Amino acid sequence: MKEFVKRFLAALSLLFLAVLFCGAGEKEDFVTIGFVAPLTGDQAYIGTGVLYGAQIAVEDANIKGPVFGNTRLKFAPLDDQHNPTQAVLAANKLSADPNVMGVVGHFNSSCTKAASSIYHETRVVQITPASTNPEISRQGFDTFFRVCATDDVQAPAAADFVWKELQAKKIVIVDDKTTYGKGLADEFEKKFKKLGGVVLSHDGITQGEKDFTPLLTKIKSLGPELVYFGGIYPELSLLLKQSRKVGLETPWMGGDGIYDVTLIRLATPELAEGTYATMLGVDPHSLPGARDFITRFEARHGEIGSFSAYGYDAANVLIEAIRRAGKKDREAVLREVRNTKDFQGVLGVINFDEKGDAVGRSVGIFKVEKGKFKFLQEYKP
Amino acid sequence: MLELFIQQILNGLTIGMVYALIALGYTMVYGVIQLINFAHGEVFMVGAYLALTVMWIFASLFPGAPFWLVLISLLLFSMLGSAVLGAAIEKIAYRPLRGSPKLTALITSIGVSFFLQNAVMLIYGLKEQSVPEIIPDVRWHLGDLSFSLIQLIIFATSLGLMFFLSWFIKHTRTGKAMRACAQDPEAAQLVGISVNQIIRTTFVLGSMLAAVGGALFGMYYGSINFHDGYLAGLKAFTAAVFGGIGSVPGAMIGGILLGVFEGLGAGYISSEWKDVFAFLLLGAVLIFKPSGILGEPLPDKV
Repeated sequence: MKEFVKRFLAALSLLFLAVLFCGAGEKEDFVTIGFVAPLTGDQAYIGTGVLYGAQIAVEDANIKGPVFGNTRLKFAPLDDQHNPTQAVLAANKLSADPNVMGVVGHFNSSCTKAASSIYHETRVVQITPASTNPEISRQGFDTFFRVCATDDVQAPAAADFVWKELQAKKIVIVDDKTTYGKGLADEFEKKFKKLGGVVLSHDGITQGEKDFTPLLTKIKSLGPELVYFGGIYPELSLLLKQSRKVGLETPWMGGDGIYDVTLIRLATPELAEGTYATMLGVDPHSLPGARDFITRFEARHGEIGSFSAYGYDAANVLIEAIRRAGKKDREAVLREVRNTKDFQGVLGVINFDEKGDAVGRSVGIFKVEKGKFKFLQEYKP
Repeated sequence: MLELFIQQILNGLTIGMVYALIALGYTMVYGVIQLINFAHGEVFMVGAYLALTVMWIFASLFPGAPFWLVLISLLLFSMLGSAVLGAAIEKIAYRPLRGSPKLTALITSIGVSFFLQNAVMLIYGLKEQSVPEIIPDVRWHLGDLSFSLIQLIIFATSLGLMFFLSWFIKHTRTGKAMRACAQDPEAAQLVGISVNQIIRTTFVLGSMLAAVGGALFGMYYGSINFHDGYLAGLKAFTAAVFGGIGSVPGAMIGGILLGVFEGLGAGYISSEWKDVFAFLLLGAVLIFKPSGILGEPLPDKV
């Protein structure tokens, strides 16, 4: 027994030495992938959902081995609190680090837009998983890319659906005054009026505010057939709850920002029943390619967020580009992201147009039925 | 049209009551130690979470309990918890700083506020928490006008507590001692009042009121977030200044009026400008009557 322990210890120390020498012989290098989304504050939940998605992508790549040569990936997540000022600070911080080759982010359109000019100046490629405002890619920054559809696909699809399928003629619009919410609501209004619909009023609310009863009381007095909401789910859940308090029983509709199971939990399934939402692409749960990712995500972090898969795909596009570039050079990585062709993401094939927008991303229309988002139909741009 | 107007006033009064409950804590603490306690909004938020915890406990242990029993227990529990929290904040964060410049305590209160926000975030998680509807959905209608049971509960609880507080300050020994400390802490000490104890009582009372406000707020809006103390605290602070900081009836009137102004502004002009109305009102009052509606102009103590 003693002999065995001695031998074992000797072997162990040899192993240690071997590891030490190995380390000294080959110097490991790394490149960094930045990530920015709201990780604290009232949108922290949806933001961390995207974070975990991107993080899994980076970990997967590192398990496979070095991304090129002996270079591995580092992941640097930052928080912008859905505040454009913080977004700019985060962008500056990431750009100043020469190891940062690209950024997955930001989440909110307002933040993505504010940060995009910094990434453009410093030649850092930026891939947003979720910002849908069409203005961002119209700025002409060649460093900007997105893997989601834009609001000029999403909002007209919604307007079409309301006019043709729901046959609602008189509606009310509410938005949360952010780049995303207002942009979505404006696009919706434009299309709906073009179709011949009447917009009885278009009001704004403030994010983080809780009391919407005055506005809802006013909406009730206008008697619309539907209320379209440009914003994110925390506010909509309050609007739904308070609607019943003031006796407003019109159905609501919103965009991808309200497509989250949290909406149903917060508003209660009973009150969320009958709410319509447009979501980019189809439900990841229905895609065979996403099944493996969803299983692994849910084993570690619980329920998958509605943008987690976008975070995963955006990070993977970037990682593949770094792999192809094969060197620590921002311009080379940028070139390779632009050269992305038929990238097989979990949400489908990704190609970018000249503005950096993902092409051909369809929009799905969903309705809350029995506490779940039920797929109704698909709109192709 | 008239019905719509009355409905908007009722909506405004409901949130105004909650503002008033929080504003009382700001004004009482300011009255006694001239500190703007920025952590007060967070005590309100903690109160809402404590109430939610009681609901969870009832839902899992006594699912069939009548709603009034749950309501009373959650109000008592959140008051008790917040009272302990208020006393602890005062003891740990502010008492060691007594006598140091006012600004030091003010900055400390901002620190306490961050601490509490993040503590709640770590304990309860990042998500918005849905508050179960324990109050039956009873509503009374008069034409287009509607008034719900939860609104009645908010009105009754808030008004009851405000009357109790007024009586307490006017007629009890502790209340009189509080007023004495507010006027002149040194003289109060000379006549045998334990100033430290009175300051603690003030924090405890203020925190209890804020906790009730938080519990009612959570039940009325049906969801709470660790962030909610910030805006609600800011509004209540506005209400306290509006009414005249340091004045107890001022805080009540300020809170209620602020709620009504916001409601009317959002309902008739534009909901986008809701917060602007609140702060515009504050600006106007500060320009024309700098000490607030009921505040007395105090000469600077040198």
